[in-house]
Amino acid sequence: MAILEIKHVSKLFGGLAANSDVSFEMTEGMIMGLIGPNGAGKTTLFNCITGYYPPTKGEVIFEGRKMNGLQPDAVCKLGMARTWQKVRPLAKMTVVDNVMVGALCRTNSIKVAREMAMEQIRVVRLEHRANFLAGGLPIGERKKLEVARVLATNPKLLLLDEVMGGLNPAESEEIIQLILDIKQKGKITQMVIEHDMKAIMRISDRIVVLNSGEKLAEGEPKDIVSNPEVITAYLGSE
Amino acid sequence: MKSIHPLTSIRGASAVQIMFGIVIIAALFAFPQFVESPYALHMMILFFLSTLMGSSWNIIGGYTGQYSVGHAAYFGTGAYTTMILLTTKEIPPWQGMWIGMFAAVIVALIVGSICFRLRGPYFVLASIAVAEIVRITALNLTDLTKGAEGILVTDIPPFKIGELLITDFASKVPYYYIALVLALAIILVTWLVQHSKLGYYFQAIREDQDAAHSLGINLTIWKNTPLVISAVFTSLAGSFYAIFIKFIDPTTVLPLDLSVQIVLISIIGGIGTIWGPVVGSLVLVPLSEALRSNVIAQWLINSGMVDAESGTGVFLKEHLAHAHVLIYGILVVVVILFMPEGVMGYVKKLAAKKKGGEA
Repeated sequence: MAILEIKHVSKLFGGLAANSDVSFEMTEGMIMGLIGPNGAGKTTLFNCITGYYPPTKGEVIFEGRKMNGLQPDAVCKLGMARTWQKVRPLAKMTVVDNVMVGALCRTNSIKVAREMAMEQIRVVRLEHRANFLAGGLPIGERKKLEVARVLATNPKLLLLDEVMGGLNPAESEEIIQLILDIKQKGKITQMVIEHDMKAIMRISDRIVVLNSGEKLAEGEPKDIVSNPEVITAYLGSE
Repeated sequence: MKSIHPLTSIRGASAVQIMFGIVIIAALFAFPQFVESPYALHMMILFFLSTLMGSSWNIIGGYTGQYSVGHAAYFGTGAYTTMILLTTKEIPPWQGMWIGMFAAVIVALIVGSICFRLRGPYFVLASIAVAEIVRITALNLTDLTKGAEGILVTDIPPFKIGELLITDFASKVPYYYIALVLALAIILVTWLVQHSKLGYYFQAIREDQDAAHSLGINLTIWKNTPLVISAVFTSLAGSFYAIFIKFIDPTTVLPLDLSVQIVLISIIGGIGTIWGPVVGSLVLVPLSEALRSNVIAQWLINSGMVDAESGTGVFLKEHLAHAHVLIYGILVVVVILFMPEGVMGYVKKLAAKKKGGEA
């Protein structure tokens, strides 16, 4: 059964269509890769799905429930959590406090939230930074913090917006392993925006390609790499 | 990068600190038994009142990061509600203050529904605008507030529970204890906030609203909650001020000046910390009093640094007392330049440095 259905979603900013008529489905437990050149509308689609923008047209259906008009906090409580392309650490709070803010979405107890937070901090391997201020972390650890924080909200669907952006190969590899581990556990479905083609081909079960706001192609990674339209979109045509 | 020791960041009060706290509180309660000077009591009352106002603002401004520069509106609401009920309906202040708190909640929710759509500097401007609307309304609703003439009471009805007389407000001592209890109450509330879900959510909103929103924090609820808590205690401060001074008018309980001073208490002391407003009050109350009463000019002259008959001496004697607002301004600039996290932040940094040096 589809956990998420995107049905004919369009988002207009004035006359400019950031997304137009995008449709696809995600089944439980899969990893969906979302790729496309800069300005293709990937982050806008994330914002439409998670309640930051209401879609101009179309529907977002999560577990059979229409999400249009819900605010981001309600979306999070229903089990859809997103990270940010430009990381947003709560700079003057410690790493563990950051993750606790996520966990407090499921509990009112500070003690329980702290335990939940420490569990996720171990998952992303940031234990040694638990009591550091988030604002002082280097980019690689900030990205991990983002992931730990959304994991602490106990999501069913995780939307990761360029979690590997700006990382060195070793750090990227850690994140890839993290994403694959999450999949292995089988509880969380993931949608991943990524520019690193090698990485996205490795982790995705299916890939949706956006270009100028429209869905250009959808399929398994091996079909996407050989799709002439995709190649044209990325490399330009003669 | 700064590491925070878990024992000092989380409920880390050691036995020594708790003992120290108990001794200080006991000393404060015993103070009027040993000191009879009304002036000393008056200064202590101003200090408690300042702590109450600063800590109230700290909850919305310091913890939640919503820099309201319109807190005079809540202060004035409390003061006016208490005074109007007392003079027109003969409702005693300790009942009137509850109605004042309720009125402040209403004002806060109106302010919240208008201003929380805005962020950053726009929120600040809107909060100033709303407070000015309240002030101008009070100035012109002469039937209710007596406008610029103000409201004066001569007698505060004695405080009785049943037949038992608690106090007749004949001296400054009862005011001292009321102010002390209020100040301790707001410190306790701040502590509770910091060590509960509220504190985490408030600070998350301060650090990044969009991130907070995406982590399941309903911004409408979690921005109005601290504003209401803050408004309630600021209103209490207003009610207390009204019966303590026994006279209010729009220029004393509703001016923009007052809103700014409330903000300064926290900024000077250290925003977003439990003790910041206490430290800020320790700095500002004596300073403002010294400037106002010309102690500094006198001291400069008496110590021989300035000749009383010289132009400078005459100038100082005549004008320094009026310059307390200017000095306030200079102080804020100095603090922002040298202690961007307030006195508390500066002290913590020094302590951390010392620790680092020893290690």
